Amino acid sequence: MFADRQPRSFLDPAVLSRLQNFPFLARRPMQGNVSGRHPSPHRGSSVEFAEYRKYVPGDDLRRLDWRAYGRSDKYFIKEFEADTNLRCCLVLDTSGSMGFGMSGISKIEYARRIAAALGHMALQQGDAIGLSCVAKGLVQNIPPRRNPAHLMAIYDTLEQIKPKGESQLVPVLHELAETIRQRALIVIVSDLFVDPEELKGCFEHLRFRHHDVSIFHLLDPKEIDFDFRRPMRFLDMEGGPAVFAEPSEIADRYRKAVASYLEGVTKIVRESAIDYHRVSIDENYEQVLIRFLVGRARVKGGALR
Amino acid sequence: MSFLQPWLLAALPLVSLPIIIHLINQRRYQTVQWAAMMFLLAANKMSRGYARLRQYLIMAMRIAAIAALIFAISRPLTGGWLGRAGGGKPDVTLVLLDRSPSMTQSGSGTGDSKLETGRRQLAESLKTIGSQRWVLIEPGSDRPRELDSIDALVTSPSAGPTSASSDLPAMLLTAQEYMKANKTGRTEVWILSDIRENDWNAEGGRWQTLRDAFLEFSQGVRFHLLAYPQKAPGNLSVRVTEARRQKTGEGAELLVSLKLRREGQGDPGASTDAKETVPIQFEVGGGARSEVSVELAGAEYELKEHRIPLGPGTEKGWGMVSIPADASPADNAFYFAFSQPAPRKTIVVAEDPQAAQPLQLAAAISPDPAITSTSEVVAVSALGAVEWEQVALVLWQSPLPDGDAAKLVKAFVDRGGSALFFPPHSPTDAEFLGMKWTTWVGGPQEVPVETWRGDQDLLANTQSGTALPVGKLQVRRYCGLSGEATPLAGLKGNAPLLARPTTNRGAAYFCATTPAPPDSSLATEGVVFYVMLQRALAAGATVLQSTRQLTAGDSAGESPANWKRLAGSDDSVSTDYPLHAGVYESGDRLLAINRSSAEDASGVLADARVAGLFKGLDFSRVDDQAGSMGSLIQEVWRLFLAAMMVAMMVEAGLCLPRKPAPAVTGSSRIPSGVAS
Repeated sequence: MFADRQPRSFLDPAVLSRLQNFPFLARRPMQGNVSGRHPSPHRGSSVEFAEYRKYVPGDDLRRLDWRAYGRSDKYFIKEFEADTNLRCCLVLDTSGSMGFGMSGISKIEYARRIAAALGHMALQQGDAIGLSCVAKGLVQNIPPRRNPAHLMAIYDTLEQIKPKGESQLVPVLHELAETIRQRALIVIVSDLFVDPEELKGCFEHLRFRHHDVSIFHLLDPKEIDFDFRRPMRFLDMEGGPAVFAEPSEIADRYRKAVASYLEGVTKIVRESAIDYHRVSIDENYEQVLIRFLVGRARVKGGALR
Repeated sequence: MSFLQPWLLAALPLVSLPIIIHLINQRRYQTVQWAAMMFLLAANKMSRGYARLRQYLIMAMRIAAIAALIFAISRPLTGGWLGRAGGGKPDVTLVLLDRSPSMTQSGSGTGDSKLETGRRQLAESLKTIGSQRWVLIEPGSDRPRELDSIDALVTSPSAGPTSASSDLPAMLLTAQEYMKANKTGRTEVWILSDIRENDWNAEGGRWQTLRDAFLEFSQGVRFHLLAYPQKAPGNLSVRVTEARRQKTGEGAELLVSLKLRREGQGDPGASTDAKETVPIQFEVGGGARSEVSVELAGAEYELKEHRIPLGPGTEKGWGMVSIPADASPADNAFYFAFSQPAPRKTIVVAEDPQAAQPLQLAAAISPDPAITSTSEVVAVSALGAVEWEQVALVLWQSPLPDGDAAKLVKAFVDRGGSALFFPPHSPTDAEFLGMKWTTWVGGPQEVPVETWRGDQDLLANTQSGTALPVGKLQVRRYCGLSGEATPLAGLKGNAPLLARPTTNRGAAYFCATTPAPPDSSLATEGVVFYVMLQRALAAGATVLQSTRQLTAGDSAGESPANWKRLAGSDDSVSTDYPLHAGVYESGDRLLAINRSSAEDASGVLADARVAGLFKGLDFSRVDDQAGSMGSLIQEVWRLFLAAMMVAMMVEAGLCLPRKPAPAVTGSSRIPSGVAS
């Protein structure tokens, strides 16, 4: 399928084929337009029993459970789960800070790999896939579609995007919450350098719209450890003022600030029931995705309705 | 704080090295593109608290370590001893020792005297400081003595205590002359003294000249005073005021009058009013001893004419009065010598018989039946035939002597005799001792005596304090006098009546009028005249006596070469006999030497006064106490080295990386996701 093209740097066929073994499932009922592998909010014709409910006139008599009638002398309709496909929206942070990477790979490159792999998997199981790039506003928005050509367009976009400008993640997430039709899977790949309190509003909004939200929070180990030795002049990658600092003097407070931020983020993702994955970009992305997929398979059909 | 190698302190700016390194380090920053600015900004806003303090502490410790190292190699000395005592080895160190009797005073609870303690302290301190040459200047000697090593200051017998008062200005003058003669380089003058008023003579006029002379030295002179100003409250001193032999029916007896004095300062009231029984021991001729106890209630006690029987054949002898030992041992004994009073012979040289007669009469009448007084009128031409060694007084009413006569009279005065000159009828140009008669002044009006010295010399008040009736004298005619002399009495209009020119020994007086009735009422109002003559006669006779009371340090023309010690301390060499209290035999004469009377009642010079004496000079002072064991000066570089090590250890402790947070390193430090 890619014979006539240059291989994409962010695609590794070996990884993709290994990931093929894991289902990419939604944690919440999704509203698709065709049959698929994901739970639907509607009752359907799958083999998975859902519930009994009392017969009401007008119900299809074929779905009456005669055995139940035999036991209880009451009319019950036997209902089954409906399986549907889903719309997966990849929200990629392309602000300047995503260009950072001191572990041999930049955050944006890492994000590309995750997005590309997820896109490939979704399409393979018949789900629609879309891409929104966020920097100073919504710089790219590709609505979800199910055809392979669409995936090509998404890959092209992933290839072309450059990390630039400051991040307007919060307003864009609010905007996406409204514009994406209800009950979609939204995968955010970002470093989330935003005040956790502001993020909380976005996450509540997305949840209100019945979206299943997953976050890959990308962080460079250097950003956490801050183990510089010499005095440094830090230039803001998003165009802010430069800061001069003596690492030995400021490291303690820096680490304190990071710890407090991470704690804040953890708290709000718990409160908002977000599928949150904090990722160090020196980690193998395949492992991160496996962890992600396994986690989702475990809760399939769970209480998140 | 003073230093032995203060030039090394020039390296002190090196303490800024840590700051400079820090600044250089800051300039060598790296620039990095950074994403997580929000944490940096948040960290900047946080209170720096301990982190900043730690940085400052580290910097301070580094600075302290360098400073301590520099101080240590500069070899600091403790005690702030004399400010900048250091400054490298001086070229010459002059040591001025106050060896006066008051320096033998010991401190409470110790046997060490001020002098011993001070010598030891000085030797230790000076050894630490070092010098090219040590020179000792002692009182009573105008020859500075070079010491082989400073240890000689402790061991040398010539640095021990004496009974003579010290003359600090004279010693400083000796020091100044030594510096001038030897062209010394950087000089340090160390004075060891208990700053008694009589030793320092702060009111004397010599200090100003000394100051000016020292200021002229371009090489810089530094003065250091090691002072022992403590007094000894309750200290008793004894002094014999008179020792007289008197004939009695059975033989003879000795009448001794003495004064006991108690030091009261420091504890007023309590010590001076407390009653105290003092046993006084009398010793005559080194054999017979007797003791009498007196009760001392006030500050002073006077024992009048205590009788001690003498053997019938004892014509002359010596004795000693002593009291029990106390804080100051030097004033616990007093020596005296007694003998038959010498006959007092007066020679009258007069051109006017009217004046000669009262002169001869007044000189011949003895005030005491035990003393034989004779007087003889001699012509100027017959002076050569006079037995001068028996003459006590010369009364001269004639043109001033010249030629051989002048030589004879001068030799007589230099030997210790007294001479009293009256104006001749017709004054000549002759000059004697720088004095010259000018012209007679006289008028119908009598000239009253306006001023006279009642405190000393011929016209002094009597022992009971009554003034002589000098004011009642009537001077009808007087002769002018020219030359440098101290006026003892003055007439109205500032003309001198009685003047005394300066002489080395003996005394010469010039009386501006004669006792002849046309000239004055000296003869008719005979009291003043008689007292005047007898006093001059007594003074002139003292050298003729076979016993003499001398003040230590003042050999009064006696040469110690053939002295033999009869009593006194054993630790003095024969050349120093005149400086040590005791009784000495010189030929057939007995000499009793004692401390000066000023020693007994001398106060301590106030601190401000001492500082004033050295005003303008590089002067520092430290007070010590007799018997103190602590060294005045000590090298303390070890302390600074230890301080440096402590500073370095604290710095190392502060620099240690803080215990890392319990989180693990690397990627797993980032907590994994929260799957909800």
